[in-house]
Amino acid sequence: ASKMNKDAQMRATINQKLIETGERERLKELLRAKLIECGWKDQLKAHCKDVIKEKGLEHVTVDDLVAEITPKGRALVPDSVKKELLQRIRTFLAQHASL
Amino acid sequence: VSVSHFQAKSCICHMCGAHLNRLHSCLYCVFFGCFTKKHIHEHAKTKRHNLAIDLLYGGIYCFMCQDYIYDKDMEQIAKEEQRKAWKLQAFTPTVVSHYQCTMTGIGEKYSTWEPTKRELELLRHNPKRRKITTNCTIGLRGLINLGNTCFMNCIVQALTHTPLLRDFFLSDRHKCEMQSPSSCLVCEMSTLFQEFYSGHRSPHIPYRLLHLVWTHARHLAGYEQQDAHEFLIAALDVLHRHCKGDDNGKKANNPNHCNCIIDQIFTGGLQSDVTCQVCHGVSTTIDPFWDISLDLPGSSTPFWPLSPGSDGNVVNGESHVSGTTTLTDCLRRFTRPEHLGSSAKIKCSGCHSYQESTKQLTMKKLPIVACFHLKRFEHSAKLRRKITTYVSFPLELDMTPFMASSKESRMNGQYQQPTDSLNNDNKYSLFAVVNHQGTLESGHYTSFIRQHKDQWFKCDDAIITKASIKDVLDSEGYLLFYHKQFLEYE
Repeated sequence: ASKMNKDAQMRATINQKLIETGERERLKELLRAKLIECGWKDQLKAHCKDVIKEKGLEHVTVDDLVAEITPKGRALVPDSVKKELLQRIRTFLAQHASL
Repeated sequence: VSVSHFQAKSCICHMCGAHLNRLHSCLYCVFFGCFTKKHIHEHAKTKRHNLAIDLLYGGIYCFMCQDYIYDKDMEQIAKEEQRKAWKLQAFTPTVVSHYQCTMTGIGEKYSTWEPTKRELELLRHNPKRRKITTNCTIGLRGLINLGNTCFMNCIVQALTHTPLLRDFFLSDRHKCEMQSPSSCLVCEMSTLFQEFYSGHRSPHIPYRLLHLVWTHARHLAGYEQQDAHEFLIAALDVLHRHCKGDDNGKKANNPNHCNCIIDQIFTGGLQSDVTCQVCHGVSTTIDPFWDISLDLPGSSTPFWPLSPGSDGNVVNGESHVSGTTTLTDCLRRFTRPEHLGSSAKIKCSGCHSYQESTKQLTMKKLPIVACFHLKRFEHSAKLRRKITTYVSFPLELDMTPFMASSKESRMNGQYQQPTDSLNNDNKYSLFAVVNHQGTLESGHYTSFIRQHKDQWFKCDDAIITKASIKDVLDSEGYLLFYHKQFLEYE
């Protein structure tokens, strides 16, 4: 249990540093561009449309869509994109070693 | 304390401290709660505060309806605030792939297009739709030769396939400033783009364009064969003037203050440093340019071919087959320090006398579209001839070694960085090549243009044929058009 708290605390500290330095926004923009480029955004958009068609436009809620596409979205992110983002974060952490 | 510092410390869930998990803010009191863990739901239930806002997207959630609700006024406010927030952020260059090039308005966030009432009307009255697939030929159209006008045709092909120019004209962004629109070359260009992207496959007859060019660039009038490069510069000049409504070149032309589409795309800054050999004082000037004219080996100006790999690294991945001159060689020669000689002494403001000096040209500011002119036509007092030396040019070009900033770091002893993928600002992609076949007396211009990222087509007046990348790179090359790979919002 204490290891989990430590990890959670580390995550929170890193996240704070990322936000403070503006790196989080930059990473988000990079990720956005990469996901558009590789067609991920289009794939998920199409999936959303399917879900809406299935459930009916009048009855579908945002929560329905979130529940439906979150697992698919996570699975469809290409490994190359994951690798690149991880590398960026590693570089960032190395530069802010005072953490 | 910066905004992001504040955000880091206070944009967290009041129950679990999480930053993520779809953070929402209560609209009745000061409470932030995450959505995923249902902390905001708990707050809504216990306090009976039934409205909350999503901190990431600005959507309003109603706990009674158990869904997001969409109110027009709230949407407007959210849009406006998002736009303001965007302007406060500083972003690194955004990746813009070749066919995705768009200029939505410098400094504005990309937002999906929503039609206005008028636009809806227009769409209803014009039901014909055109789908652009990777194989479609929209944008390709031949041009009839009106009598040795191939010099004009190949430039038109290059311009109609310049992505930013195409987007500018196809999104109707030209507002005519000329006294009479019928004499406006920019309006004619707009019409030309409409013709090219209309889907018509028959060749276009550019008689109006020719007439306008003859009217505004008298030196090009007549049915003789003209120089395509001269035509390019004249066309850019007339377009630039007409963008401001300057009909006869009488208005004060201040290139530094113009922000017309031509300047935005084509204008670069060339830095000239003259160094006094005695006091080493440097006098710097920066001049705008639309193209770079490069001397070739075999011309009467001395050309010093640099030995391969003299910088210790392969620049631009050009295979240096011994003896072949490359575009990079020409650029290196263009940016080398040149001793001005004892017959051309410069008055040095440091020494207060005439001294010998060296002069060096480097790129201060790179244009979005860089046009390289290989000086193949020699018109010296003694002879008029065409230099047909083959110059190999790359598909992708990195201009970093020729920048003023690179020269400064070289002079400060910093070694040239290996091309790192993070400095993408100076990388260019070839998108059009104009070639001249024949002799000075009788010749013919053709062009290669790039469509859809990696498809090339040869344009020979009215005849358009598919070409391979090899065809393009093996061609002699007279005018080479490169486009920046990555665009930065200013």
